[in-house]
Amino acid sequence: MKLDRAALRKRVLSTCLPVAALCLGSLLPAAAAGQVTASQPDGVRRTADGKPDFSGIWRTMNAAAWNIQDHAAEKDVPAGRGVVEGNDIPYRPEALVKKQENFKNRATADPETKCYLPGVPRIMYMPYPFQIAQAPTQISILFEYVHAVRNIFMGSAPHYPGHIDFWLGDSRGRWEGDTLVVDVIHFNDQTWFDRAGNFHSDALHVIERYTPMGPDHIRYEATIEDPQVFTKPWKMSMLFYRQKEEHAQLLEYECFAFP
Amino acid sequence: MRYRLFDCAVRTAITLAVVVWISPSTGAQMRKPRQVAGCPSTAAAFHLCALAKAKTFNPPRTPDGQPDLQGVWETPMAGGLGNIEGRRGGDADNPAAVPNSLVVDPPNGMIPYQPWAREQRAENVARYIDPYTHCLPITAPRIMASPRTRQIAQYPGYLTIVNESGGHPFRVIYMDGRPHLPADIKLWRGDSRGHWDGNTLVIETTNLTGLAWFGSGGDFFSDALKITERLTMVDADTIDYAATIDDPKVSTRPWTMAFALERNKEKGYEQMEEGCFESDRDTADLLLTGFLMYTGPRFPK
Repeated sequence: MKLDRAALRKRVLSTCLPVAALCLGSLLPAAAAGQVTASQPDGVRRTADGKPDFSGIWRTMNAAAWNIQDHAAEKDVPAGRGVVEGNDIPYRPEALVKKQENFKNRATADPETKCYLPGVPRIMYMPYPFQIAQAPTQISILFEYVHAVRNIFMGSAPHYPGHIDFWLGDSRGRWEGDTLVVDVIHFNDQTWFDRAGNFHSDALHVIERYTPMGPDHIRYEATIEDPQVFTKPWKMSMLFYRQKEEHAQLLEYECFAFP
Repeated sequence: MRYRLFDCAVRTAITLAVVVWISPSTGAQMRKPRQVAGCPSTAAAFHLCALAKAKTFNPPRTPDGQPDLQGVWETPMAGGLGNIEGRRGGDADNPAAVPNSLVVDPPNGMIPYQPWAREQRAENVARYIDPYTHCLPITAPRIMASPRTRQIAQYPGYLTIVNESGGHPFRVIYMDGRPHLPADIKLWRGDSRGHWDGNTLVIETTNLTGLAWFGSGGDFFSDALKITERLTMVDADTIDYAATIDDPKVSTRPWTMAFALERNKEKGYEQMEEGCFESDRDTADLLLTGFLMYTGPRFPK
């Protein structure tokens, strides 16, 4: 969707400021949260304000980009244990038909084959590293894959009003103890969850949870809500691994630059 | 949508500049030329004035004592680098007739291209599609001059610069003294290392593919390019930005362009997603009308 930014900004300013003021008020008592307690996993790196410090370069070690469910290997596709809790995805009957059709046509029908931004959460488990740059008011995730960027806004500003067709959604984060919880809405219906044809509508709502499991691992959970496609919410769960090579840095995978 | 805000700003600026330029005597009476940080808004004059002011400006600091360059920055003075040598596109016989060139060295405002390279620039515009039109990643200095905003954020050991337009080309600039990548790893955005020279942030970028342009005016570079950027705060809301272009395969000597980064002060401003490649229709249209994809410099045999 083409978006009239000027109009949107005006709308955001006029409609959101009062809401933002209310939210800010409700956040104040939480300012003392995030202290280190004895029950914390050992070695979790922390920022000056006591929050887990996720800064660094990370990646998954699974095959979810090809298929988020249990699958055997195919040519150029590694086998993988599923990342869907319980392995079943509660499709509505008509949506299941669509999913099976997608699977049949996946070699060309997967939007990712056109090098489009792969949506959330798929961008998190593409087989490329990403870098988290963390500040108290904004956590940016920079991706090697097509130099994608996610900005997770941690301040009091609420989601933009209306529906916006973003590829990677509109991300608003908050801390629940040591867990970073990110609420993501405003998606288009143009991305799949994997190469196997698992899909969603533009009503997609993703709730991500990032929990430190020590200095070099993050437990990542994504709850998927989309009443147009699924009969109930369902959840993916996986680990992010810190890239520990000396001088590790992001390189580039400029998908659409290749002839 | 990609260029709307920028277009508006540029058209306004150009209209204003043309009015002043066409009728200098009446123009001066009608409108005072825009000033940036109390300095003239033409590149060479700004750069000189800004660096003099910076000598007495004590910039805000991050908790670890670095000058604090963080924030969201706009660069109207750079005009997207569409015409680096100025509105007339340069006139070697009459350097004084190059108004508003962004080139501050050499002093005549001209890019010191090798003869074949000046010809290729003209051919680029006539025959080839600007790689940025196809949303291919841009590098410095264009990444600092493109439409809309860029956000600078400083972290322990590195800083990031994220561009809003062009599908968010971003740079991670390591400040921890690590070496550059091996020479065989070429990147569209290059490999950047930074350090402080007094209050000036110096960024050196190498390892470039040499497949992009500096601006829509067809100015180009090779994979031998080394870019040295210098960012110096002039006042709380202005950074003097200078980029020295050292490309022995394309030019006869290193050259430098300069412009201002001006702070975006819009309350609650957030960069928004731009699915640039995903909504690119221009490339297909240009290919239909006979333009070609750019494949890099065509060095003389």
